Amino acid sequence: MSELLKVRDLRLSFGDTEVVHGVDLDLPEGPFGLGVIGESGSGKTTIARALLRLHPVASGSVAFEGRDVLSMAGAALSAYRRDVQLVFQDGDGALDPRMSVRTAVAEPFAIHRTVPRGQRAARVADLLREVGLPDDVATRYPHQLSGGQRQRVVIARALALEPKLLVLDEPTSALDVTVQERVLQLIESLREKRSLAYVLISHNLAVVDRLCESSIVLYRGVVMERGQTNDLLTTPVHPYTQALRAAVPELGVVRPPLTRIATSTSVPESGCPYADRCALAVDVCRHEVPALRPLHGRDVACHQADEAADLTA
Amino acid sequence: MTHLTGTELEPAPTPDLQGEPRRRRPALWPGWSVATRFPLLDVGLVLAAVIVIAGILAPWITPYPEDAGAAVHPESVLQAPSSAHWFGTDIVGRDIYTRVVFGARVSLGIVVVVLIVSALVGLTIGLAAGFFGGWVDAVLMRITDVFLAFPAMLLAVALAAVLSPSAFHAALAIAFTWWPWYARLARGQAATIRRQGYSDAARVLGAGPVRQLVRHVLPNASTAVFVQMSLDAAGIILTAATLSYLGLGAQDPTPEWGLMVAQGQSLATTAWWMITFPGLAILVTAVAFNFVGDGLQSALDPKRGQR
Repeated sequence: MSELLKVRDLRLSFGDTEVVHGVDLDLPEGPFGLGVIGESGSGKTTIARALLRLHPVASGSVAFEGRDVLSMAGAALSAYRRDVQLVFQDGDGALDPRMSVRTAVAEPFAIHRTVPRGQRAARVADLLREVGLPDDVATRYPHQLSGGQRQRVVIARALALEPKLLVLDEPTSALDVTVQERVLQLIESLREKRSLAYVLISHNLAVVDRLCESSIVLYRGVVMERGQTNDLLTTPVHPYTQALRAAVPELGVVRPPLTRIATSTSVPESGCPYADRCALAVDVCRHEVPALRPLHGRDVACHQADEAADLTA
Repeated sequence: MTHLTGTELEPAPTPDLQGEPRRRRPALWPGWSVATRFPLLDVGLVLAAVIVIAGILAPWITPYPEDAGAAVHPESVLQAPSSAHWFGTDIVGRDIYTRVVFGARVSLGIVVVVLIVSALVGLTIGLAAGFFGGWVDAVLMRITDVFLAFPAMLLAVALAAVLSPSAFHAALAIAFTWWPWYARLARGQAATIRRQGYSDAARVLGAGPVRQLVRHVLPNASTAVFVQMSLDAAGIILTAATLSYLGLGAQDPTPEWGLMVAQGQSLATTAWWMITFPGLAILVTAVAFNFVGDGLQSALDPKRGQR
């Protein structure tokens, strides 16, 4: 299994404030899905932007097919942009209101000159069909489309250059449930047809469970737990993963909250970032940052992992 | 129990559901819904069209086209309005109606020159400043601020006085004071557009700065710029008339409205028509363009439900 994307100790900042504190990601060649799970403000979207070189990297390394992404410029960066594409959270904002769907989806061809001008309209039609849009969408403008249609257009545009890696930033969170389902089916079918590798960023555990072999759970820019998605979601070990799992609403089931409500919004100076919300926190959690260590077939960053594991065993 | 009238029984109009894809309905003229909702815009557009067409057709719709130039008619000096001279004649006997109609060419020509020059310069500087940010922004906008620091009219008068007086030089002098406003407007637009999702999308797709500017920033900034241009037309006409009135713009025999008012000023009590008709021409043209600018601003405002 050869490595497609390898991220080591990725640190990202806004000004002087570090928001992502050393994240590792590993992604083999497709078809493969890696889930990045976390709540708002955990740094998920910033990681996605950094992978696409839209956000500066404070320190760490990003390698794509063994080549250093962060030092790329000129032709190398242009080639990287052909191989790696981003699907935005908000299909509405990601489409230029002044461009018709055909022009927007053909823009990658125009930029990289991979398809001669005369064949672009036909290729756009193929792509639109592939994402399940009717042909007449090509001449419309974004404001004339529904949210689900716009997200499909964004996916079609991202697929135009036949990327090896797709970064999906909350691809369904702006859509309502029935449309969500159809976009998820689309991603599933593309994954097999194009043997896609992708990083899927989401706060929705069900979406990650369905589309990703392995996952990381992020809290305040720190990895809490990582491993096979199935292990993480059926037998979560980290108290935060457990809390996330318990927070998933199920029809007809009322569950007591596993976690205390956050008493402060500030990040603790030292110790585990989750300590102030954790029901199992002991003294050491507030003073010493827990390192990721292997436990029950996954990696967990928790001093109390053994006690926590007993809760779901 | 009250009686229901016929109108109350009519079904309520179906609300436009948000999120439903809207299809374009084929219409005889797609702008019709805009036209009916913004009557001031229509009045302005009609008036402006009349003025533009009158200017273009001037040689064919005026009785004495040669009076637009340096003609002299000693036999018909300072005649009051009559069927032969609708707006009367001036101090050398030229037909004022003819000169007012030809004056539309001069005023509109000045407007076009000022708008093109100041929009070109302002957009180039403003878009670059807003798009690249950082030190490019700092340098370009400080230069712009220097121009804005002087009162515009003073700067225009000074520059027009240095150049030899003519309508074209007056236009250049006005453009010289006008472009900083376009630079500021364009900078704001570019800085906003740069942060939009579709700008990120263009970068991810590999678009270079030139492509981003030309294909994404410029088209999205253009609405605001066009509205500003239509709003500015009235001000430019007034400024040009002022410069000519002060003797710094068009020179006799050019039929410039401001100049004609200046020429008639000393005779205002005896030959009221000399200042009245060119003055009215300035007023009507300025009002027409103001209506167009205001109307466009409302019609293109997304909060009014357009686009």
